[in-house]
Amino acid sequence: MTRTLLMDSYLLSDAETVVARARTGDPAALEALFRAYEVPVYNLARRICRTTEDAEDVLQETFLEVCRSIKRYREEGSLWGWVRTIAASKALMRLRRNKYRDTDELHDEVVGQRREDTHLRMDLEAALERLSQTSRAVVWLHDVEGYTHEEIAGMMGKTASFSKSQLARAHARLRRWLGEEVAVP
Amino acid sequence: MTHLSMEALVSLRGRGREPGDSGAREHLQGCPACQAELERLHQRVARLKALPPLRPARDRWPGIAAEVRAERRQRRNRSAGLVGLAAAASVALAVGLAPLVAPDPSPDPGRIEQVMARSRALESALDRYDPESRVLDGRTAGIAQELEDRIARVDRELEVTELREEQEPDAELLRLWRERVGLLDALVDVHVTRASNVGL
Repeated sequence: MTRTLLMDSYLLSDAETVVARARTGDPAALEALFRAYEVPVYNLARRICRTTEDAEDVLQETFLEVCRSIKRYREEGSLWGWVRTIAASKALMRLRRNKYRDTDELHDEVVGQRREDTHLRMDLEAALERLSQTSRAVVWLHDVEGYTHEEIAGMMGKTASFSKSQLARAHARLRRWLGEEVAVP
Repeated sequence: MTHLSMEALVSLRGRGREPGDSGAREHLQGCPACQAELERLHQRVARLKALPPLRPARDRWPGIAAEVRAERRQRRNRSAGLVGLAAAASVALAVGLAPLVAPDPSPDPGRIEQVMARSRALESALDRYDPESRVLDGRTAGIAQELEDRIARVDRELEVTELREEQEPDAELLRLWRERVGLLDALVDVHVTRASNVGL
């Protein structure tokens, strides 16, 4: 059983019934879908978007799309996989639309100069937050959500190589910012 | 000694096999430093997966539900209006009422508002008939389909005209709104006639 199918049974044990009712427009069933996936969708959106406001908007846009398109959900994959792809697309769309200034270089410089100072060592949350939006999105989608580089490339409108190099660069930064670098012979 | 790059380490962790993986694996077997680096990478990813989920600060469902309801209402009204329009226009066409719209090269600004208000009033009247719940005969339904396309075209033209950055799109807007009102007017007649004829 895939991870997303496991998520389905964990988040919404009677998914089949709820989906059937949601397809008829039953408001209670639509709300049940929202309640089941609200947190993972928001979490995914928040990990990709820069602000909580953007993440909340993505949450809303995702479930509006779910309500509009539930009739087209074919039950070929997991329900969570379907909802998650909508959420990821919406979040990446917002990322492209907002075009925040990429601050990687600045962070590299600041953290790089002082990395011997243990007080500046970041925890994982802070380090993740400091990555550029694109790098963070790739790290999250690949390492946590389990998307392949090809799938990420498709969603981002980039190449798989782009996704791979973003991931490697992001891990190099995380390692440095987390103070995990060790002197090697 | 050259150690594995982060790209190579990330690739080794992946599910697929990359072209340089076999060489990298070979190096890895004999290099404790790279083994430790790969282990740190695994641990970092495990810690990422274990981060507690972030939760929205407020409940967004009421807003979503309201928007879904509004969209449904809009679709219902539109559908009711279009089906009614079709039947009305079929009669209008049969008795030779077309053309319903006369050109007006120099509309005064208040005219569009008046025509729009008339359109709204007619739509409300149609809504009260609740055409969606009524059965149409085959001929009327066929014409309805054709007219739905016509109305959709008028609506699209209205949208485009409203967005146009021309200085004076009023004549075109007035023409389109009149076209709409003409069809709606005929539709109300049809409904009244049909209702009184067949006792609906």
